[in-house]
Amino acid sequence: MIRGYFYQPNSSRVQEAIARLNDSHIAVYADDECVCESSVETLQVSAHLPGQASELTFTDGARFVPLDVAHRWSFQSGKSSLLAKLESNLVLIVCALVATPVLLYALLFKLVPGIAVTAVQTVPDAVVEQMGQQSMALIERTVLLPSDLSEKEQAAVEQLWLDTVSQLDLSAQKYRVDVYRSEHFGANAFALPHGQVVVTDELARLLADNPDALRAILLHEIGHVERMHSVRLASQAAVASIAIAMLVGDMDIVAEVVLGSGSALLDLQFSQNMEWEADNYALAQLHRLGYSGEHFAQALESLAELGEEHEQSWLKYLSTHPSLQERIEHARSYTPSP
Amino acid sequence: MDSTSTTTAAEPGSQSTPSQLLFTGNGKEYFGIWIVNLLLTLVTLGIYSAWATVRTKQYFYGHTLLDGHRFDYLATPIQILKGRLLAVGLFVIYSMISSYFPLVGAMMAFALALLVPWMINQGLKFSMRMTRYRNIRFAFRGSYGEAMVNFVVLPFVSIFTLYLLMPWVLKRIDAYIHSNIRYGDKPVQVQLQGKEYYAAALLVMLLGILMMMLLGLAFSLVGGININPDELGAVNFGMFLIVPLYLFVISALQGIYQALIRNHILNNAQIDEVAEFKSTLAPQRYALILATNAAAIVLTAGLAFPWAKVRKVRALAEATQVVLLPGADQVLDTAQQAESSFAEEAANVFDVDISLT
Ligand SMILES: [Zn+2]
Repeated sequence: MIRGYFYQPNSSRVQEAIARLNDSHIAVYADDECVCESSVETLQVSAHLPGQASELTFTDGARFVPLDVAHRWSFQSGKSSLLAKLESNLVLIVCALVATPVLLYALLFKLVPGIAVTAVQTVPDAVVEQMGQQSMALIERTVLLPSDLSEKEQAAVEQLWLDTVSQLDLSAQKYRVDVYRSEHFGANAFALPHGQVVVTDELARLLADNPDALRAILLHEIGHVERMHSVRLASQAAVASIAIAMLVGDMDIVAEVVLGSGSALLDLQFSQNMEWEADNYALAQLHRLGYSGEHFAQALESLAELGEEHEQSWLKYLSTHPSLQERIEHARSYTPSP
Repeated sequence: MDSTSTTTAAEPGSQSTPSQLLFTGNGKEYFGIWIVNLLLTLVTLGIYSAWATVRTKQYFYGHTLLDGHRFDYLATPIQILKGRLLAVGLFVIYSMISSYFPLVGAMMAFALALLVPWMINQGLKFSMRMTRYRNIRFAFRGSYGEAMVNFVVLPFVSIFTLYLLMPWVLKRIDAYIHSNIRYGDKPVQVQLQGKEYYAAALLVMLLGILMMMLLGLAFSLVGGININPDELGAVNFGMFLIVPLYLFVISALQGIYQALIRNHILNNAQIDEVAEFKSTLAPQRYALILATNAAAIVLTAGLAFPWAKVRKVRALAEATQVVLLPGADQVLDTAQQAESSFAEEAANVFDVDISLT
């Protein structure tokens, strides 16, 4: 005899009731009157949750909920209690505590980048071309202005670029350079996935007397294009956001911020690795073409001197490039692997 | 537990005594559920997340008791999984396109804005249909046009008023959501006042400005001590301090606003002949709970999440009373189809916020 509530089908009416179980037959009585009976095979039994009685749902939608919150039915399948057992098993909880961060790390920092790198190889050239052109259109509209450099200065950059590209046996059709003025970027250069490299006025002026240093910077940017870094970043971001969307489901703002900063960290690490890759590409090509890492080091030093003035903000910590000092030392000590 | 009143709810005296909403779950049990959910979700690369969602909701709904009867969450994992896979699939396509083709992506964002009202309506409909109290399911009937006006057009227009219209828009949104909810065949009615929203927004803004100034002062003092330190050290220190502090302050402000608005909505809502609501959530207490929750979650690298969630839900329940009226026994369930969780999942994945305060 089990005391509980009887809920009538499709109605908010509730009755206090008693359930009697005989072998495989159950009958529910309210006020000494049988309100519902059924064989147990046709019953639906709710999932096994801690602190919640297992309720019975009859075929017509009526329900019986025992008063005792710990009540379980003898005919309930053992399957549903498995999870509840796992959830209250101390050993398993401790194991889960250890395994979860490890798995999370493996997933976000190994599997996601792995998938992203594989995905990159399947991206067709036409897509890369479109991606580059559309990004450039957006950047140009928002933060770039026509160059202030004289024709001669611009021609010097152009000539240096053509020399470098032809020395590398790269297609001059794909690889092109453009000079823009930009307050947003300062002295800088960046590469777009389809082979367009943008050099700012400030950078061109800064290294006007040291073309070999500028060449080193250009090689670094070509390295980004050759290794398809933008495409990788984009595919990384896409894969990571899918992973997070799958994992998070419905968490609240705090969890989102924690995971969000995790993925920002991931982006950061990923792009730092890319900077090293582009550096190494530039250094290897410099050596192959008969220049030395010293030129790259000089270029970085000029940038470092410039940076002293306005990059003191502590947000610099989060910048995508590794510390300039480290990179300068790396450039000086670089020896090409055979 | 006050469990006997419903069976004799026909007697007139019962309408004056409010029933306390109870939450009977605890952090220890939920921690077990949470960590197992997380582990299985990771092991199955996200597939289990559907089962995890259902189990978590069942735990929280089933431990929420009104008048001795619990709430039920009715969605099945397969339903959630189907909707989630479809939504994530679409999101993959969307994010691929917008990262590879930024211009096309911008146009798609516009198309998405047209889908937002639909997602919100369908998402609310699904989550209402999946909620049951005493064999009666909740329902939601909103129209696309009204949702479009409230969720897309008015917020956009309010930008041009320097957000001065925003509290009024938020009032309209809450009124839209709540007055379209039904409990069985009985509609919910709300009478909301714009001035309450303006008062809450003003208070939160002033407090926010005050906090920013205090924080700024504190940081300049800290910065002053490390005049020329090892650069990285100072930076790390700042980073580790600023994120929890930011979350702490934001959560506290959020708590104040939510408490004020929640009290206002519930105290002015009723289901005809069925129930009246009372919410007495103290803003400063709720702010403290949310802020310390956020701090605890950050400081324990997420481990405090189950404890924090239970604490929040319990505080909300404790502050809620419902007066059940005699008609509570005569509600009939209505048929409304809502088999797909797609819209709700899509709203989640695309970060369209639907919250019932
Ligand atoms: Zn670079």
